[in-house]
Formats: sequence, C-alpha cells, structure tokens
Amino acid sequence: MLFLYTLLFLVLIAAAIFAAPLRAKVWTALALTGAGALAASVRALGVLAGSTPEVLWRVSATPFGGDTGSMDPLSALFVVLISIGAVASVLYSRGYLAHTLASKSPAHVSLHYTSLTVMCYAMLGVVCSDGGFSFLFFWELMTVASFLLILYDAQRREVSRAALAYLIMMHIGFVLLVVGFVRLDAACGSATFDALGAYFHAQNPLPLFLVFLAGFGMKAGMFPMHVWLPEAHPAAPSHVSALMSGVMIKTGVYGILRTTAALGDLPVLHTAGVILLVLGIVTGVWGVLLAATQNDVKRLLAYSSIENIGVILLALGVAALGKSSGNQLVALCGIAGALLHTLNHSFFKSLLFFGAGNILSQVHTTSLDALGGLSKHMPLTSILFLTGTAAICALPPLNGFISELLIYLGLFDGIASGSGMLASAAGLAALALIGGVVVLAFTKLYGTVFLGAPRSHEVAEASEVDNLRIAAMALPLAGILFVGLFPETAVAGVTRAADFFLRTPADAADWLLSPTLSAAGRIAWLLIVITGILLWLRSRTLRGRRVAEGPTWGCGFTSPNVRMQYTGESFSEGLQSIATSLTQSSGEGSPVGKGEIFPDAHRFDIGHRDRIGRLFSAWWVELLRLINQRVMRLRTGKINHYVLFALAFLVLIFLLSLLNVI
Amino acid sequence: MALLNTLLLLLAALCIPGLINRTRALLAGRKGIRFAQHLYDVGLLLRKGAVYSPTTSVLFRMAPSVILATSLLAMLFIPVGDLRPLVSFEGDLVAFAYLLALGRGALILAAMDTGSSFEGMGASREALYGALVEPALMLTFGTLALLSGHTSFASIFEADATGDAKLLIVLLLAAYVLTKIVFTESGRVPVDDPRTHLELTMIHEVMCLDYCGVDLAYIKMSVWLKSAALSMLAADAVAAAVCPRWWFAAPLAVLLTGLSVGIVESTQARNKLVRNTTFILTITALAALIFFTGYLLRLNIGLQ
Repeated sequence: MLFLYTLLFLVLIAAAIFAAPLRAKVWTALALTGAGALAASVRALGVLAGSTPEVLWRVSATPFGGDTGSMDPLSALFVVLISIGAVASVLYSRGYLAHTLASKSPAHVSLHYTSLTVMCYAMLGVVCSDGGFSFLFFWELMTVASFLLILYDAQRREVSRAALAYLIMMHIGFVLLVVGFVRLDAACGSATFDALGAYFHAQNPLPLFLVFLAGFGMKAGMFPMHVWLPEAHPAAPSHVSALMSGVMIKTGVYGILRTTAALGDLPVLHTAGVILLVLGIVTGVWGVLLAATQNDVKRLLAYSSIENIGVILLALGVAALGKSSGNQLVALCGIAGALLHTLNHSFFKSLLFFGAGNILSQVHTTSLDALGGLSKHMPLTSILFLTGTAAICALPPLNGFISELLIYLGLFDGIASGSGMLASAAGLAALALIGGVVVLAFTKLYGTVFLGAPRSHEVAEASEVDNLRIAAMALPLAGILFVGLFPETAVAGVTRAADFFLRTPADAADWLLSPTLSAAGRIAWLLIVITGILLWLRSRTLRGRRVAEGPTWGCGFTSPNVRMQYTGESFSEGLQSIATSLTQSSGEGSPVGKGEIFPDAHRFDIGHRDRIGRLFSAWWVELLRLINQRVMRLRTGKINHYVLFALAFLVLIFLLSLLNVI
Repeated sequence: MALLNTLLLLLAALCIPGLINRTRALLAGRKGIRFAQHLYDVGLLLRKGAVYSPTTSVLFRMAPSVILATSLLAMLFIPVGDLRPLVSFEGDLVAFAYLLALGRGALILAAMDTGSSFEGMGASREALYGALVEPALMLTFGTLALLSGHTSFASIFEADATGDAKLLIVLLLAAYVLTKIVFTESGRVPVDDPRTHLELTMIHEVMCLDYCGVDLAYIKMSVWLKSAALSMLAADAVAAAVCPRWWFAAPLAVLLTGLSVGIVESTQARNKLVRNTTFILTITALAALIFFTGYLLRLNIGLQ
C-alpha cells in the first residue's frame, strides 16, 4: 500500500505544481518541500535528542518480502542534512530561475519543480527505509528525479549528454544494488539491512560487501566511478548542483555506512577497513589534484566533492580499523569524523554551489580566467563564498576544521596506541596532502574569481543578487558557523548517530571527545578575539597617520593591464607539472610562438581532463555503439515485424522449457 | 610556568632573526648590522602611515591581523622543554598545523587581491610549497606520537626519552626534518631568499610587496613567531633525547635555527625554482622514512 500512497502523493504534488500560476510554482514547491522537511526534521531532532525511534511504515508482499521504514539516529542525522539542503535549494531556485521563466514553457517549469519536490521526498524515503524493496524504490525515484532536474537546459547539447551519462552510470550502480539485495533475499528471506548483518555472519561477507560498496560508491562518486560528477554538476542548474553535490551523493555515503555497520565486529571488518581507507586515499588525492587543475568554477567544485567523499571514506576506514582492533577512541573519532564531515560538506558545498550560481547568473560565465574582482561588485556573495572557502579548506574557526580534527585525532591515536600504525600513517600523510592542496585549489578559485581587477567588462558591470538568494545561502552558513563555534553541542548529536556503528552509549563517547572539542571551540573564539584586538590596534596605529591610495606596485613596469594578472591556469601550473600523469592536457587554438616579436591576436585554451574519464571514450565504448547500431536494424517500425518478434520470443521460451533449460 | 613558557618563546622569536643576521655578517667578514636591527626596523614600520592600491579590497587590510593572530595562537601550543604551554589538549598538533595553514591562506589571498601578476606568482609558489610540506610536518608529528604514545605537544615532550639510544636517533632525525621545515616555512635559502632583489624569483617577499606600515610589521612579526614555534619544536625533539629541561631547549632553539640558517645562507645558493618541489618532496620522503624507522624500533621494543 505504501507504494500506492506514494504514487498518489506524487500525482498530488504534480497536480498542485502544474496547476499553480507560473510565478507561484516555486512557492508551491517551497511549501510542499518545507512542510515535509519541517515535519521530518522535528521528528529527527527528537530522535537525536534521545527519544526512541519508531516505525514509520510497514509494507508486506513486495518481491523481497516485507520491509519497514524507521528513523534511528543515523537516519535522523541524514534527515536533518537533507531537509536543510532541500529547503535552501528550493528557496535559491526562485531567484536563479526567475529570468528563464519567460523562455521556458510552463509545463517545463512545472516538471522541474515537481522533480525538485519529489527528489527531496525520495531522499528522505531512502534514508528512512530499512532496506529491501522500499529502499530500492525510493533510490530509483531519486535517480529519475535528479535526471530530470539536470535536464532543465535540455536544449544545450552538453547538458543532455551529461544527463544521459549520469542516467546510465546510476543504473549500472542500481543493477549492482539489485544484485546485492536479490542475493541477500535468496540467502536470508529478507532484504533489509538487518538481514545483511545476519548474512555477513552466516556466509563469506567480502563479495557482497564489495558489490554494495560499488553500488553505493557509484552514487557517492567514489574513485574510479566518479566520472559522472564533473560532467553532471556543471550541466545542471546551480541549485540542482547544490542539492546533488551537497545532499544527494550523501545517500551513497549513507548506504556505505549501513553496509559497513552490518559487518558488526567480524574479522573481515579489518579487511573492509583497509579497503575503505585505500579507496578514501585514492579518491581524495585524485579528486583534489584534479580540482586544483580545473579552470571552471563548477567543475572545480565538483572535483572537490569527490575529494570530500574521499575524506569521508578515509574516516570510515579509520573507524573500521579502530573497531576491528578494539580501540574504542580511534573508532569513535573515525565514525564521528565521517558523520560530521558528511554534514559539514553538505553545508559548505551547498553554499559554494549557490555562490557559483550567483556568478553564473550575474556574469554568465563560470570560467575562472574570465572573472576577477567580483568582491567589489557582489560583496555579500563574496563574503559568503569566502566563508565557504575557508570552511572547505578545514581552516579554524569553521566547521570543516572540527571534522578534520576528529579524523586526524583518530589517525594520531591509532599511531600512538599502536593499532594499525602503518595504515594510520598512510592516512595521515594523504589527509595532510589533501588538506594542503585544497588550500591551493580554493585560494586559486577565490583569488581569481573575487579578488584582483575584473578581467572583462561583464564582470565590471555585475551587481549583487536578490536578497532571497542571499537568505538561501545564509541557511548553510548558519550550519557552518554553528558547528565551528559550538563543536561540543554539534558533535553530541553526531555521536548519538554513531551508535549504530559503535554500539556503545553516546554519553561515554561524548566524554571521550569532550576535552578536544571544548578546546577546539575555545580556540575558535580565541582566534576571533585576538584578530579583533589586532585589527583594533592596527586602526589605532594608523589613526592620525597618512593613509593614501596608490597603484599596485608593477615592479618597474609602467603600463600593466588587467589581462596581465596571474590567471587560475598559471596559479596551478606548478602543481600541474607534478601531476601530469593524472590529467590529460588539451590545448585548442595556437599559443604565441617564440619567434613572434610583435604577436597579433591569438586564441589559446588549455584544459585538463581526467584520465579515468577517458576510459569512457575508449575503444570498447565504440564497440558497444557499433553493436547497438546493428541491433537497431531490428527496429523497423512495422507492426507486423514486432508481432513476429513476439511470436519468435514465445516459441523460444516454449522450446527452452521443453528442453528443461528454464 | 605557562607564562614563562610563552615569554621564552617570544624571546626566542625576537632573537632568532638577530642571530641569523650576525652569523651571516660574521661568516662574510662584514661588520654587519646590529643584533636588534630587525626590531628597530619594525619599530619604524609601526610609526609609518600606509598606501593601499585601489585594486585591493577589505580582505587585503584585514589579512595581516588574521596572519599575526594565527601565529600568536599557534605559538601558545608549543612547550619549551619541560614547561607546560598555555593551551594543550589531545590533537593540538592538528590545530597548530591548521592555524599555520589559515595564516598561509590569508597571505595568499591578500597577494591575489592586489591584482599584480608578480604577487600572484609568489602566491602560487607559496600555495604549492605549503601543500607539499604539509605531509612532512604531519608525518613528523606522527613519528613523535609514535615514539611517545601521546597526541599533544605537552605530553609528547614530557615523556622522558633520555637514556634510550634507539629513541635518541629517531628524535634527532625528527629534529633534523623539523629544521628543514623551518627553512621552508619561513622562506629561507635554499627554498626562498629573503635578500633577493628580483620580484620574478621571490616567494614570500613578493607576496607582501604592496604592504607597508603596520601591516608589514604584523607580517614580519608573524614570520618570526612562526619560525620560532617550529624551531622550538625541533629543539624540543633534541632536548627530549638529550636533556629535557627548559633552560636547555630555549637557547637551543635560537642557536639551532640562528646558526643553521645563517650558515646555509652564507654558503649555499638558493635552489632553482623547479628544484624546490624536489627539495620539499625529499623532506616528505625523509619524514616517511623516519616514521618507518620509528615503527620498526617500536615493534622491536614491543617484542622484548
């Protein structure tokens, strides 16, 4: 009955949005999403504060037997994350899509908002279902809705290509999940995550674990299945990118968390921990190196999402290793770090994608080297973006620092206490490298886009966006500041969600982490206070002295122009020269030759493509295309042929069953 | 005692640049500038007004305060020998590294804010070298955590390691790597040359080209504090192996950095810029090697 009700509900949502007048569609969607998000969050916060979880729905007679939906602390944490991301995204879309409303048909806009609303509810459904058929149902609903969302600008060729690639890759992942759940159902008679725990105890757990890891990893953007991310995010409208990158890929993380927790404390948990740690390191390092070499705001942000998924997986690996070696503190730091980083990433990545949306809608480009000096024209956006930048670089006093501090603490404790020393050291070096290169990537992003002088007249004429969009960005900003400045309170909720993995009372967990967290909170405040005092001293010193204006020092060159500023490409050139083996550089046009003393106009574009992405344009894709072409001959369009095919199929089945093959 | 600790660190921060200058002068056979000349220079800067480029924004004006605040705060974590620092908690190693990263990020953005291609060039180099040196720093901290079994600076250096010959070697090696990190982080030869006159080849200096007055003074002070904090860590590692007392560690930090930087700057040319990445990656490899040595030794100790 659940599915019937859900479908009925979907029809109602669609009807409400389609019936609303063009300008009011966004408000209808906002009301529908907001109501659901509010109801779900209130319940979720109750669960996180300690009330007992309850069963939300119970279905029977699905292909996998019955399953239920309930909200335990882990689900509750993800519900909060999804609710904030979803409401902010719908709110943001009002201003972002306003200028496109005239050029799109009302049905097109309605479809977009229907998908947006459905997507939010589907994600809530995913994290609340206990596995089995309802999980897959919501999972697929989420995929289809996000596919439709990417297609908002479907007339652009690269958008439809990216959306199609996304759809195909998601379904490869979906098939893996179906295989996993069918195997589970065949062995245990039920396909919930609880049954998964029983299965892992009864049989060899590793194959099924890997199948689930691959299936969920596809959604999360785990290496080497991350290639859809940097294509889909730039193609989608910015509020959709924010929703997908900030929130949707976290459902993949949710699946991986559930699967890993189902391993209990079997000996194989150690192997799983090593696998997760290595995958985390590779995903993180790959993501961040590619991010640092990108020259497009949205592509850079997309690669940085991959990097953050890597950090989360790394933390989960630390947790698994700690738990398998019986080191409670390491396990706690790892899992709390993973969960908090999941939450944190949803905050700052939504904020940054909204910022990218502001740039795109005001300047009509996201190419780094065409921007510059935006902080003077879009002051609010620039402050918000700077906060997001500092948070994603894990700099104190913001939220990213708290989660990375927990992960580092887990690694250091692993080393100090002598459990999994080499694995911890590998994680430590990788996380430090990731942290360092993230600073490079994001100072490049912020520095080229917002600082310096405008590189084109469009930038010089840009103006700030409407207040509603700023309000939408303030929502994740509040999360960033709250976690950064009050880490103890924030982590208390997260450790309750960590129970599913650790199976220890949350109070003990709070007690273990509390000295570090309270110190981190104090440091954040202290930093703000000291900076304030120094600023005051500075203005006191300058009082009564001559403060003049003069041009930037040109090092003796007297007529510099704005095109001579250091570009994003040159900023990351040093790193690029080390990481050549990871990327494939492409140059279009002709560079200025050495012999040209008085060069005329040249056009030269440099791009850096992912080597893994190239696998998807290799010979085997061509082969598949050829086979597909042959098979297409069967599609004649004549009804009599199709009847013949149906007949042939029936005969085939008949013959096979006669021969006892099926 | 914690206040004495902070005072000693501040004193070391003020002495190190002076000792470097005196060492250099002595080795070059010059009369040289007086020991406290750098203090007079900063005093002069503090009495000056300021000139700002119209390209810059508020960020450019706020950055020096942020940078100095991070160095000041990071310094509070560092113990001097057996004294307890003002701030100490499990994981302060990480907070220390990330505070320095915040200072670095602020300076990079401030440099980008001027819109000068030279400053962008310096910012790009600083970002790259900063990113590459991070794993070396963390691995060295990891080695210290491995040897002592603790995860905060104070408890790491409280554990008395004198008398254990095996630990002594690893601690001295860790101190060696930390000294190399001091060279990189405070922009000294062979990575960067503070005396260079050509903007094209500068790193740290070119990033503060457009600063003057109190802002430049803040940046200079933050560099002193940062290198004093890192030198004190190196000195602590040596002290832990030889004589874990504050009256040993504090002068050692000044001598270690003052003399080694002075000698290297008098005898060696700076690297070609492309060689810098190799130089820093070598430090990282060395740090990894030292960690591994510590790991093997610890396994061996566990067996007995």
